Amino acid sequence: MVGARVIVEHVSRAYGPAVVLDDVSFTLAPGEMAALTGPSGSGKTTLLQLISSFDRPTKGRILVDDISVGELSHPAQFRRSTVGFVFQMHYLLPALSAAENVELPLIAARVPRRERAQRALALLADVGLAGRARDRPSDLSGGERARVAIARALVARPRLILADEPTGSLDTAAALNVWELLSSACRNAGATVIVASHDATLAEHTDRTLRLVDGRLAQAPNGPLSSGRSA
Amino acid sequence: MSTLSQTWITLRGRPGRTFLTALGTALGIATIVALLAVVGGVQHSSAQLVNLGPSELGLFQAGAADPTTSILSTALIAKLDRTPGIATATPLVLLVNQLPKSPGAIVFGAGAHNFVTDGLVLGSGRLYRSPGEVVVGDTLAAELHVRLGQTLTVAHRRLQVVGIYHNGIGYQDSGAFVPLATAQAVSGRQGEATTIVIKLDATIKQTTAERIIAKRFPGTLVISDAQQAARAGINGQLIDQFGIVIVVLALVLGGIGVANTMLMAVIERRSEFAVLSAIGFSGPQIAGRVLVESILTTILGAAMGLLLGIIGAHFLVEALDAQAFVSPQVTAWDLGRGLLVGVLLGVLGGLCPAWRAAHLSPAHVLAQH
Repeated sequence: MVGARVIVEHVSRAYGPAVVLDDVSFTLAPGEMAALTGPSGSGKTTLLQLISSFDRPTKGRILVDDISVGELSHPAQFRRSTVGFVFQMHYLLPALSAAENVELPLIAARVPRRERAQRALALLADVGLAGRARDRPSDLSGGERARVAIARALVARPRLILADEPTGSLDTAAALNVWELLSSACRNAGATVIVASHDATLAEHTDRTLRLVDGRLAQAPNGPLSSGRSA
Repeated sequence: MSTLSQTWITLRGRPGRTFLTALGTALGIATIVALLAVVGGVQHSSAQLVNLGPSELGLFQAGAADPTTSILSTALIAKLDRTPGIATATPLVLLVNQLPKSPGAIVFGAGAHNFVTDGLVLGSGRLYRSPGEVVVGDTLAAELHVRLGQTLTVAHRRLQVVGIYHNGIGYQDSGAFVPLATAQAVSGRQGEATTIVIKLDATIKQTTAERIIAKRFPGTLVISDAQQAARAGINGQLIDQFGIVIVVLALVLGGIGVANTMLMAVIERRSEFAVLSAIGFSGPQIAGRVLVESILTTILGAAMGLLLGIIGAHFLVEALDAQAFVSPQVTAWDLGRGLLVGVLLGVLGGLCPAWRAAHLSPAHVLAQH
């Protein structure tokens, strides 16, 4: 599988008079892993939501494999086929087991039941939760919930993985584990990965760092923006 | 795991809310089933007022409020007897509220020797021979502890009980037969009858006979089926319409209740639906999940409601003190209608919440969260 090419061109997002993102531009090559850093309120979540088609930019455009995501008439179809999203709060459905939560994107994609179950269990095994498939989120630790959320984001084999502060509520060891999982998804599956984090040290595990300050990219858009794993 | 099983898990995860929503639906369905059962019982009882055999027709006054208020002249008998295809015709007078000790019982006034009274199976005694005599159904006899030789008061007239019969027809067994002249005198309807029961020749088709009678006797209504008798009267039609009104009211009120509960559930679970949308569920898929949840809840409620309705119908008849002449009739069609209403409630109540859930913006909802 080849990761998605992401092109962000002069993107702004304003809510009334408040400008959250201001003229942001950058390009990510397929299979690249980027850290999106910056203080709280700098626009990291908004940028991820625009790339994932949850929201539309006020100005500019975002291309994912030449698809302008701000102009999609069926954004759910794009999310289903292309994007895997890891939320800061994980947002696992409390009534469902870990395996059932992981299956959800496959239900949306109408994958047959048996295949869904097999893929969900395999991914849970990959993230080290083979024995917790039947447990409900309330029975899992924060780190385990994060791993289930990552498994859910990966199960449909997306070409673009977006993670919004996935380690925000985790201790250092669990956070490193999550970063490692996302890195291996990038390496092994070839997916393009953008991880938003306010923790600059974790960003060292990525190819590039995009730093947002007050809604603007702090450095030049397409060069090596800051030191990273491959820099 | 299917949407249905996921929905079931979700419902089980919120037992209190699920039970209360289902209970609301159950009470609505129970009301419908109980009232339909009672209405059915009333119609069934009305239909038994005139027990028509295979080659028999009942003639009533057209436009009467119900079969018991029909008035026909007995002068029609001679003309009917001369009508081709009619073997014989006999008048019947129906008296209601004329037994002080059993107000719900019907007293039938009929001639002593005709095909109606010949059909009475007398377990003891004999048929009446004089105006002061009465034969009593075994159910009424048991209820009033009446025996042969005792007297029964019919509209202030004391009549001697000369026979006790059993017909197997609830209305007749819990009533009594008196001579036609006695019934006419009691009701002040000399020369009149409530209905005329007609026996047809074996040579004529029932439909042909109906057509001939309808043409020759304007202002009358020919009934070939006992159920028709119940429906033919204005009251019968009103009862039918009453049933429809109940169903529509239950649909509207129940739909509003279910919609309100489901809307609350959607508002409570905005983040859940936003996450589903974020991970690729389309609007119709999310709406479908809400609808399935709504329908499943109301089907649960309908199942409870059917049970409550069957029990409630008997309580309702008792509360109305009508058990003597109304036995609730719960048919498979009534139960089917109850279930259908449950499904319709689920669909109607779930539509607006489903639309809301399908149009949630993940960005807005998750930002608020």
